[in-house]
Order: sequence, then structure tokens, then C-alpha cells
Amino acid sequence: MNLSYLTTVANSTLRMMTPVLYVTLAAAVCSKVKILNISMEGVMLISAFFAIVTNWFTHNVFLSIITAIAIGVVVSAVVGFCIIYLKAQPVVVGMACNTMMSGLSIYLLYAIFHTRGVFTDPSLQGIPKINLPFIKDIPVLGQVLYNLTIVDYLAFASAIVLYIFLYKTVLGYRLRAIGINPQAAQSLGTKVERYQFLTVTLSGILSGLGGSLLSMGSVTLFIQNISSGRGYIAMAANNLGRSHPLGALLSSFFFGFCQSLGYILQGTSIKSQITTAIPYVATILALILFTVYGRIQKARRISRLRKEEPRETPASL
Amino acid sequence: MLVEMKHITKRYGEVIANDDVSLALEENEILAIVGENGAGKTTIMKILYGLEHPDAGEIFIRGQKVLITSPRAAMAHHIGMVQQHFMLFDTLSAAENIVYQNEIRKGIFFDHKKTNQTVLELSQSYGLPIDPQAIVQQLPIGSQQRVEILKILYQQSQIIIFDEPSAVLTPLEVEELLKTMKQLKAMGKSLILITHKLQEVMDVADRVIVMRQGKVTFESKVTDTNVKELTYHMVKRHLNTRTLKPQNPGEVQLELKHISVYGNSAKKELDDISLCVRSFEIVGIAGVSGNGQSLLARVVSGLLDSDAGELFIKGQNLTHQSVHSIRQAGLSHVPDDRYLWGSAREATLGENALMGFEYRPDFTQKGILKSQKIKHLTNSLIDRYQIKADEWQQKMSQLSGGNAQKLVVGREFEQNSEVLLVNEPTRGIDIGAMEFIHQQLVEKRDNGCAILLISSDLNEIMTLSDRIIVLFEGRINATFVRGEADARQLGLYMVKRYEEIET
Ligand SMILES: Nc1ncnc2c1ncn2[C@@H]1O[C@H](COP(=O)(O)OP(=O)(O)OP(=O)(O)O)[C@@H](O)[C@H]1O
Ligand SMILES: [Mg+2]
Repeated sequence: MNLSYLTTVANSTLRMMTPVLYVTLAAAVCSKVKILNISMEGVMLISAFFAIVTNWFTHNVFLSIITAIAIGVVVSAVVGFCIIYLKAQPVVVGMACNTMMSGLSIYLLYAIFHTRGVFTDPSLQGIPKINLPFIKDIPVLGQVLYNLTIVDYLAFASAIVLYIFLYKTVLGYRLRAIGINPQAAQSLGTKVERYQFLTVTLSGILSGLGGSLLSMGSVTLFIQNISSGRGYIAMAANNLGRSHPLGALLSSFFFGFCQSLGYILQGTSIKSQITTAIPYVATILALILFTVYGRIQKARRISRLRKEEPRETPASL
Repeated sequence: MLVEMKHITKRYGEVIANDDVSLALEENEILAIVGENGAGKTTIMKILYGLEHPDAGEIFIRGQKVLITSPRAAMAHHIGMVQQHFMLFDTLSAAENIVYQNEIRKGIFFDHKKTNQTVLELSQSYGLPIDPQAIVQQLPIGSQQRVEILKILYQQSQIIIFDEPSAVLTPLEVEELLKTMKQLKAMGKSLILITHKLQEVMDVADRVIVMRQGKVTFESKVTDTNVKELTYHMVKRHLNTRTLKPQNPGEVQLELKHISVYGNSAKKELDDISLCVRSFEIVGIAGVSGNGQSLLARVVSGLLDSDAGELFIKGQNLTHQSVHSIRQAGLSHVPDDRYLWGSAREATLGENALMGFEYRPDFTQKGILKSQKIKHLTNSLIDRYQIKADEWQQKMSQLSGGNAQKLVVGREFEQNSEVLLVNEPTRGIDIGAMEFIHQQLVEKRDNGCAILLISSDLNEIMTLSDRIIVLFEGRINATFVRGEADARQLGLYMVKRYEEIET
């Protein structure tokens, strides 16, 4: 295993992790205001699709990204409205959204492009890759950052900005307070539902950006079910990252790594069914390990305490 | 006149919570409101604080008619309320809780440094010591309440409403609170105090009103009345004082051997607890709340698995067993938090009354619940425990705090099991109902039930217990036989390790 091999893995990890990071951040901000949002899968998928539609008609990358964001916001707003104002069960709403968007994208793929499964065309514009001249020439770093797009960089920036927003600003503090105890916030005169609705709606920006990366990032095309469970992985990643933006950064790095590992192993004699399963199996394992680790820590602490001398109780009964 | 509420009426469906209530609060006075559970005390104050809207009636502040549509509006009129159930953000710091809605900013950023400093100054100026950076959930209940009070003071409230502030406090904390209230009055604030403890009324209030069935039925200056008279106006009968008949304890029914629970910190949260409860006796657990009482209750009831030690009920080893098997073995449990452990707020009274009985053949037939039987069970509980309720299919969340407590207590008592674990059984309950519950406990004891009573109310512990165990920092700090110790002595063992006291 040589250095260039490692840098390739690092590079593909970074590219794999950014879409997951976007939706993980979306999940994180929603859980910060105590809304269980599982609709990222569908939102991401339909944003990816409409990014390609706009791209096909305008050949303008910027407009395509804007479309993805707009679609993300609109669909998330509908989801948020159903959960928060109509008091529908969040899991039902989320699943409904996901199945509906999957069906809708297949239908529109046929209606607009008259094709099934995949749509691609040489005239479609990908998001421009940034290869800054001075960085490109730095030995290792240049290869690690090779061919990343502005939207990839934006993902990392979003995590940091969200962290600062949630933990350092007044507005972020209020959002966190709502998530900790909505009734208390309500009784102090906060319009809890409005804050929650806005948070879910604006989380659509993140899912939309994630979607645009799927269809115009490393590759420029739309495949049926292009999100392939990333919205669900985001829920696991959010769990592992404890709904913290920087935790999300770490956990999506982990999933990005597993995914790129899967792709690399595809080149070997291992069956492709196994390699494509890697990220999903890793998700389950990570969640299990996460709990097991907590238990081990506790057991250790207990055995350490047990070694201490037993104490005498006063006048036993 | 500072506040006048005139002819306020509030209905919840069929129930009239407030029926043409008029009351007034004068500048710089402490007004106490007392009355039975469900009398409408909380409702009338929620109306003043903008949490509920009256169906009829008007509110005047300094002679001006005002509309209070929300807590924000109330705050704008300098009205603040410490609610019956605390409204805190558990994982935020004390300072962050206090400045909520009126944050100190630096641009768009939250200015933590200045906030902490301001809160510290605030707490010093009112003599309410608090560490601004302490995380609220790690603070004892008394300090959490202080955070609530400081929050209201930070909003510059002139009128402060306390809804049963002492229900969750220990005797020492209550003393502190009463001192604080007097001091606030001396600083020119006006206070309203809802309470079930009439001695507190006598200690701090200037004026008292009694509510009964949604109406104001009695009003007096505190100097012109006494506890006995107030009691009579509240329950319309005279209460007798309780004495315990000596009993010979029978067999050991509940036994804990070297139970320990390790928490997240380096310290053990329950440290080597060994105790037993025999039939025909009540063992009382005293202590400042947060010294392991609730953990102990959770271990005994099976809600928490102990990390070391053994649990026996009627000779059967039930260590590491489920709540269900422990209940099957003969334990009933009145938990301290009626909403968290004791009931399901969104379920009906009937469903709540059935909980724990549902597998019994009287209530099911081939897995189908018999609704007539459940209705009968619920109505008999409502009757027996005088629960103020509309009908058996109403939601639990619609009951007043004390009435919800009565339902939980009634359900567990009616199990007629041989071992009873009761944790804060009379929290938030009026004196009439408290007397009834105490009488039930004594009757059960006289019939051979083994009772473990946990309570932060020293009076309750001392009147009811045959033996008293004092918990401190998760350990058994002292044990007494009935009559052996007075309140002062018990209080000492509640705050200091026995090693320090006895040497
Ligand atoms: N949200 C609600 N829906 C229906 N009924 C309600 C609701 N809130 C209160 N009630 C009813 O109104 C009556 C008065 O309730 P309130 O909470 O004011 O009593 P309280 O005097 O504070 O009693 P406690 O001492 O038990 O706290 C009770 O009979 C209660 O069942
Ligand atoms: Mg009340």
C-alpha cells in the first residue's frame, strides 16, 4: 500500500462524505428543535432530479443548484407543515414523502426525458471542479483535494457555520432551548411552532445542496433512486454525531470512508453485492459499537469502584 | 389596588374551573390562595399569567383594564409565575435559563461572559446564591427553583405568582424560600402564593383567600384567622390528628442486601444499602431530595437494575427481574413523579386506572378488555378517593395536579398487595385528601402490609413511620425507631455524614 493509494482513498472519502454530511446536518438541526425529520431521503432525491431538469433546459449550473435548493425548501416546508401544524406522525409523513418523491422522480424522468432508469447527456454541465493552481502542486494535499467542487467545500463550511450558529448566537441558543423543553419555551412566550417550522423548512436548503451534489458532483446524470439510502444513513450519522454539527462532520467522514472502501473493493475479486453493502453494514455496526462502547466504559468504571474498600454501615437493621 | 380580577369565569367543557371569581392584590403584599385539589387555584393564576383565557371577566392593573393574551403580555405588565411544574431547560446553564428571551447580545452572538456576570450580580443583589454556569439538571430542586425565581426577577417583574412552590422542597429549602419571599416583599414586590401548607400561609402571607369548587368562599387577613379555621373553610369539616397503634412487626417482606448503583460520576449514587421492611410496619426514608431516594425507589420497583447487591420480596430473589415480575411477586408502587412514571397523560382515566391490572382475569376475557368492569373500577376510585373528574373516559392531562396524584395513589392502594412502596404520596395534595391517604396507609399497616415510605416531608415521615432511615449521599446515614429522634436531629443527619456528627 503506497502513498498515492492512500491519497486516492482520502480523496474519494471526501467526495463520498459531502452529500451525506449535508443531509446529516439537516437531520441534526431538525432534531435540535425536537422534530423527527426522516424525509431527507426524498427531499434529496427530488432535488437531485430537478437540478438535472434545470440543467438540461438552461445549461446553467448556478440555476440548477438554485433549483435544487428551492425544491428542497418547498418539499421540506410541506413536510414541516404536516408535522408541526397538522400534528401528523413524523414517521408517517417522512415515509410518505420518501415514497412519493421516489415515484415522482421515476414518473417525471419518463415524462420529461422519455427514458427509464438513467438519464445523462453530454450537454449537461457538472459543478465546476476547483483545482487551485498553488494547492494542486502541493504534493499530498493536492491529490487529496483533487477535483472537489465548490459545493463540497461548502458542506464543510456549513458544518462549521452551523456549529457557530447553534452554539454561539442568540437565535441558535433559542432553537436549542426549544428542543430541550418546548413547553418551557412556550410558557415563556416563544412561538415554538413557528421556529420549528422555519427550521425544518430551511433544513431543505441543506438537503437540496446534498441533492445537487449527487446529480452534478462527481458525475453528472440522474439515476433512478440516486440517493440510495443516504437520507437514512444520515439518520444514523446524526445519531452517532449526537445531533452536533461537528459530530456530524466526524460521522459522515466515517460513512464516506466506508463507501469509498466499497468502491475500491469493487475492483477486486470480492462480489459486488458485498462491496455495495459495506456502507449499510457499517452503519449498523457503528450503531451497535457505539452502544457497546458506552456499556464497556460503565463496566470499567464499576469494576474500578468495586476495588475500593467496602464501607461499614451504621447500626445495621 | 395593584391587580384586580373581576368576575372571572373559566369552563373546561362541563367543568367550571373558575365560577365568577373576583380577587384583588394590593401593592406590596403577599396574598395566599388555598383550597382543595381542583378548586381552581392554578386556573385563576394561569389566567393572570396569560396561559389560559377566561370565558368572562376582566383584569385591571392599577385601575387600567388590560387584556393578557399570552405570557409575553403578562411579562410586559411585570407579572411573572413560578409554575407548579418547573419550566426549565435542563441541559442549559443557570444563567442561560435566566436570560431566556432577554439575552445579552454582542451583535448576533450570545455574550456568555457578560451574561454570567449579570446573573451573578442579580443573584447577589437578591441574596439568592447561584452558580451562573451550573447546568440546571445537576442542581438540587431548591436551587432549580431559585433559577425560576431569578428568571422572573431578571424580567423585572413586580408581581410574582408562586404555584405550590414548597411541594417539592425539603424543610430547610422551604425555610429558605419563605425567607426569600419576605425579602422580595421588603424590596417592594407583590406576591401571590398558592399552597396546601397552611403553616406557610400563617408564616408569610398578609391576606388569605380560600377557594372551593371554583369560587372564593372565604377571605381574611392572616392576623385575624388561624390554621384551624382555614382548614375548616377548605374542607368543611374538622380533621382529627393521627396516632399510630403499636404493632408487632411480622415476617420480613421486603429486603435489600448491599444494593449499590454506580452513576456516571466517580461516586456511587447508591452505596451499599441494606434494609428490610416487615409486615405490620412502615419504614420511612428521610433525606434531602437527590440523596438517592428516587434511585432506591427505582431499584425496588425494578425500573432500574442495581449494579451490585440483591433484592428480595417475600423471600423471593428478584434481583435483575422485570417490573412486571416484581409486581407479580406482590409489590405496589406509588412513584414520585406522577406524570413521568405514574400515569400516561394522554390516556383516559379508565386506562390509567387499569394500568397494572390489565392482565387480571377480572378485567379481560381472552385478551379483550371488559369496558364495563373498567368503568366500574374507575368510578369506584373516583368515588373513594374523591377525585374531581368529569367522567371515566376523560384525559388524565385534564385533571388538576392533586387529582392526578390521587388517581395514581388509589390505583396502587387498591391492588391490596402485601408490600407497598410509596414515594412522595401526598405531593401536591390538599390537607383533606392527605389525611385520607395517611389513614389508608395506617390501615394497610394495621392489616399486615409492609410499607416503605419515601418522603421529603419530615412531618409525614415522623407521624407515619415505625422506623426511620436517613439517606445522605446515597448511603444509610442513620436509623431510628419511632419517637427516638426529633425533627432537628433528623435534619442534622440529613445534611452531614454520621461520622462527622458522632465524633
Ligand atoms: N386543560 C384542562 N382541561 C379540562 N379540565 C381542566 C383542565 N385544566 C384544569 N381542569 C379542571 O379544572 C379544575 C380546576 O383545576 P386547577 O388546576 O385550577 O385546580 P387546583 O386548584 O390548582 O388544584 P391542585 O391543588 O390539585 O393543583 C379541575 O377540576 C380540573 O380537572
Ligand atoms: Mg394546581
